[in-house]
Amino acid sequence: MSKEIQNRKFKGGSKYVLDEELAKIVNISIALEMPLLLKGEPGTGKTMLAHAIAEALQMRLIVLNVKSSMKLIDALYQYDTLTRLNDSRFGDSKRDVSNIEDYIKMGKIGQSFASDERVVLLIDEIDKADTDFQDDMLDVLDQMEFDIIEIDKTIQAKNRPVIVITSNAKKDLSDPFLGRCNFHHIAFPEPDMMRKIVEVHFTGIDKELLDSAVRTFYRLREIKGIEKKPATRELINWIRALRSDPDFRVKDLVKGEVPFLGILYKKSPDYAVAQNAVGRFRA
Amino acid sequence: MFVDFFYLLKKVGIPVSPTSFLRLQKALNMGLVNSVDDFYTAARSILVKSERYFDLYDQVFAHRFQGVELKEPEAIEISEVARALLEEWLKNPRELADLLGIKEEDLSKLTPEELLQYFLDRLKEQTEAHHGGKKWIGTGGTSPVGHSGYHPGGMRVGGVSRNKSAVKMAMERRYRDYSQEGPLTESQMGEALKRLRNMVPHGPKDRVNIDETIYETMKNAGEIEIVFDQSLRDRLKVILAIDNGGWSMDPYIGLVQTLFNYARAQFKELKTFFFHNTIYDYLWEDPQRRSKPFPLDELPRLDPETRFIIIGDASMAPYELLSTDGSIYVGERSGKPSYMRLEFIAKTFPHSVWINPVPPVEWAYTRTILHIQEIFPMFELTLDGLEKAVGHIMRKN
Repeated sequence: MSKEIQNRKFKGGSKYVLDEELAKIVNISIALEMPLLLKGEPGTGKTMLAHAIAEALQMRLIVLNVKSSMKLIDALYQYDTLTRLNDSRFGDSKRDVSNIEDYIKMGKIGQSFASDERVVLLIDEIDKADTDFQDDMLDVLDQMEFDIIEIDKTIQAKNRPVIVITSNAKKDLSDPFLGRCNFHHIAFPEPDMMRKIVEVHFTGIDKELLDSAVRTFYRLREIKGIEKKPATRELINWIRALRSDPDFRVKDLVKGEVPFLGILYKKSPDYAVAQNAVGRFRA
Repeated sequence: MFVDFFYLLKKVGIPVSPTSFLRLQKALNMGLVNSVDDFYTAARSILVKSERYFDLYDQVFAHRFQGVELKEPEAIEISEVARALLEEWLKNPRELADLLGIKEEDLSKLTPEELLQYFLDRLKEQTEAHHGGKKWIGTGGTSPVGHSGYHPGGMRVGGVSRNKSAVKMAMERRYRDYSQEGPLTESQMGEALKRLRNMVPHGPKDRVNIDETIYETMKNAGEIEIVFDQSLRDRLKVILAIDNGGWSMDPYIGLVQTLFNYARAQFKELKTFFFHNTIYDYLWEDPQRRSKPFPLDELPRLDPETRFIIIGDASMAPYELLSTDGSIYVGERSGKPSYMRLEFIAKTFPHSVWINPVPPVEWAYTRTILHIQEIFPMFELTLDGLEKAVGHIMRKN
């Protein structure tokens, strides 16, 4: 296995600008077979990283979007009792009603275990779930197996998936959970990094537009009293809008005009605060 | 190997577990770590589990692998100052050489690390001399600190280059803002406050739990068995009382306002009141404290389970707190001194805290803070303090 890892080092994806430090951490986590926990502001590319890893290592990506009401069992497997009940009453399917296994559907973690090749498993926004979910899940990921009670069968991972877990720091994660992960905090990119990120998304973008858009963006991020600061995603969408507007001139940005402010600020109090502050840019 | 590094991390208060240390050893044995830079990254991601400790980690790392002095705040300050000065001076190597008393050619032979060390040593001498009353090394010029200063030997200071050594990155203390004692940012505040949520099952069992119903029905061999649940509701009521008057609170108003914005979305019910310096007969619902008074005597009508949070610097003239008509507003003098009013609030709402933006080291020097501390548990307005305060009011009893 370790030889394979040596050959398959993560070097970044086509739409993802990789921080050197982060690349090291990803590679160490893959080698140590540890889940990698990523924390950071929304829009720093936590989720994108998993996509980039999957692309670079040419593995399939399985995404588990955690919801607050989710129970661990949902992520592992589902016993589709309703279909079975239906089949037993009407008997018009090819499934064998007496065989419960026909009614077991794999959840996302289950799929990643059952897959014949090694996959990347992204567990997105783990902090939404409650602590029990988190701890129990790590047990499963540690053991690389779980039981299906209904058919008394143990599912073992054929290949240990590369696991990336993201958290928006809504809640603190428990100590045992943290103990079993490698940790990295993605800081918000510096302007230079941001320029590279934008360039990756808009190949051959006009230099002047790039510079003034990024400069304006960081200026907007400085505005005080904003609940949700615009992040990378907003910047990309904003530039897309600027580029598609035939009336837009780069000089407007330099002059302090900020068109399409609504793309950057999505909460109405934030929008009002920002609009007010932008008014002062022109002065 | 690296055992003392591990213990040092533990000593400064980073929660590092032996398991994670063994895991680091495993990484080392696997040949994954080939340089100090790799070690910096690997050890941090394996040992340190929260960005709040990144700053401490940086300090320990710089101390262990570069001999940067640790913990004494002065020493850290010096290295900060030194770095800034060095950056400044590297734009003009001749001046630097002059100041350090070495030739420019010799200067170019030093590695950046040696140079910084040499510089720090000199600075230390200078500080000591400073106590004797002599002039400190002056700043060379007033130009703003820029990024791409250069060293005759080719050193690049600061800036965005990723080719910096790990030690220097550690010395930059990039994560200072995330550290626990660092200044509060909006999102951190939100994070701390979100822990105030308290979802409890409430009301009649009127919701059909479909999954359970199906499961139980199947277990019952198809005989319908319906399972009901109570619905979950956030039952927490919170009263925020904010000192928004007077110049002594001015620096904190912005911070406190953000606190409001965040708080609004969090609770079942949130009432906000304002006061100036301390509380007398009324709290005010409007920030101007003019048009919407709320008599204190009405408070017992509210749910005693309400969490009462007061944010203020608790700093005022002692008579404002202790005298029978201490209020600086004439209309509010009913004959009860403010401290009795505060005691009344503390008794009405067993879950109450006072959050103070003044750093705790200064608390002992202000008489009114000491007095109010006897009435309310007091916490500082930092991430750490806010967390403790939230922990305190969320306790069951």
